[in-house]
Amino acid sequence: MDPLTIAAAGGLRARMETLDMLANNLANAGTNGFKSDHEFYNLYVSPEAQASDSPGTTTTTIPVIEKNWTDFSQGMLVRTDNKLDLALDGKGFFTAKGPSGPLYTRNGSFRLSPKGELTTADGYPLLTDDNKTIQSQSTSPLEIAKDGEVQQDGQVLGKLRLVEFPTAAPVDKVGNTYFQMTDPLSKPTPASSVKVEQGKIESSNVSAASSAGHLVKVMRQFEMLQKAINLSSQMNKSAVEEVAKVVS
Amino acid sequence: MIRALYSAATGMAAQQTNVDNIANNLANANTAGFKSRRAQFHDLLYQSMVQPGTASGQQTIVPTGLQLGMGTRASSNEIIFTQGNFSQTSNPLDLVIQGNGFFQVLRPTGDIAYTRDGSFQLDKNGNLVTSSGDMVQPQITFPPNAQAINIATDGSVSYTLPGQTASQLAGQLQLAVFQNPAGLNSIGQNEYLATDASGDPIIGTPGSQQGAGTLLQGYTEQSNVSVVDEFINLITAQRAYEANSKVVKAADEMYQQVNNLSQ
Repeated sequence: MDPLTIAAAGGLRARMETLDMLANNLANAGTNGFKSDHEFYNLYVSPEAQASDSPGTTTTTIPVIEKNWTDFSQGMLVRTDNKLDLALDGKGFFTAKGPSGPLYTRNGSFRLSPKGELTTADGYPLLTDDNKTIQSQSTSPLEIAKDGEVQQDGQVLGKLRLVEFPTAAPVDKVGNTYFQMTDPLSKPTPASSVKVEQGKIESSNVSAASSAGHLVKVMRQFEMLQKAINLSSQMNKSAVEEVAKVVS
Repeated sequence: MIRALYSAATGMAAQQTNVDNIANNLANANTAGFKSRRAQFHDLLYQSMVQPGTASGQQTIVPTGLQLGMGTRASSNEIIFTQGNFSQTSNPLDLVIQGNGFFQVLRPTGDIAYTRDGSFQLDKNGNLVTSSGDMVQPQITFPPNAQAINIATDGSVSYTLPGQTASQLAGQLQLAVFQNPAGLNSIGQNEYLATDASGDPIIGTPGSQQGAGTLLQGYTEQSNVSVVDEFINLITAQRAYEANSKVVKAADEMYQQVNNLSQ
């Protein structure tokens, strides 16, 4: 294939993946604590092309989505007046005890298990600073302070472990609004500037307006690339049919 | 491409569930003792195209990777047990629980159900029953000529007989509390059943240690549905549905263009 078609086809594929990401963002516009994903385009340069440093040659580069980045910006806090709804104001995550290592989430719609343990909506117990769980002692409501300290009937039950991720540490989404750290060497650090708001919940940070704009952009770029492929095929066709015509 | 279509479809399905839930809340805006439900959503699994943390060179690793999500799902709709407003009825058999407790009633099947709807009535034998005829537990019976029925804040039920001044004790109402009331199973008629998630009921007299609350005679507890909030939720659900349908359309158009590539 000629370089134009290759580059345009790479662009088409990248736009398709962008649409997949956009579809997932918009599908999760109602998911509490959800953080939207955005694409990061890059140019793919084949290893052979990278190796040849001969001057005067142009290498074909193909646009690809190399990675996505998660927009960790604050979602809107919605008042629910439910004592077990917690929202985080600022940078940080709650820590839950997952089946294979800690899970981090900003979805603060919590429950009490039948045994009185404070858990996430999926039943994973929340961890405290000293690696314990919060065990409710009676049926009185839990009072949670801005720094994550949980009290019941004036008695301290523990302090929720609030963490933040070091910059550039690899973080993975594992579904159900949980995040995981993929690199076993990097550890989350205690969150420094986060406030716990009881009776509120953080809604998804997907912006419908900017997503709609993005959608139009992706569709138009896709159309443009499709035109480019058609153009390239027409040029090939003319080259074969017109230029190489032998006048008899 | 197909991913985008299906992710958008999951979004539409989730918003439909959301609207179903809002419709039920609004339909019960005038049901005494009704507790609203709130739909909760979760994102689905992610397909890792490039695993974060893999080596991208001899010294460097990919810091974020490429993960494509698969959409959303409605995970639960939990019951919100906030206190509803009180409305005065002056009916001596209307009760409100000021607290987290539940009345216990005996269903025709023999199970004990729990309710916060305290608009009680008497059956032909003088038993205290709910408006659907389920008997309140522990059983409370009044003689046919009972007058001036009084239910104290601590749940003791008394009455006087004609021509007498001293009141007679008819029984003692008890309330149940749950460790996790959001885990109760709604069975309609304002009644709930205990489940493994809610834990076993803790029975106590009104006003005792367990936090069940006290009783107030002559009032009913209105539904805790906030019509304004439900309408706001309805608007956001409708707009989110619309946004997802736009993605389906965009995916369709892009697919069409791919099909037009070969001429």
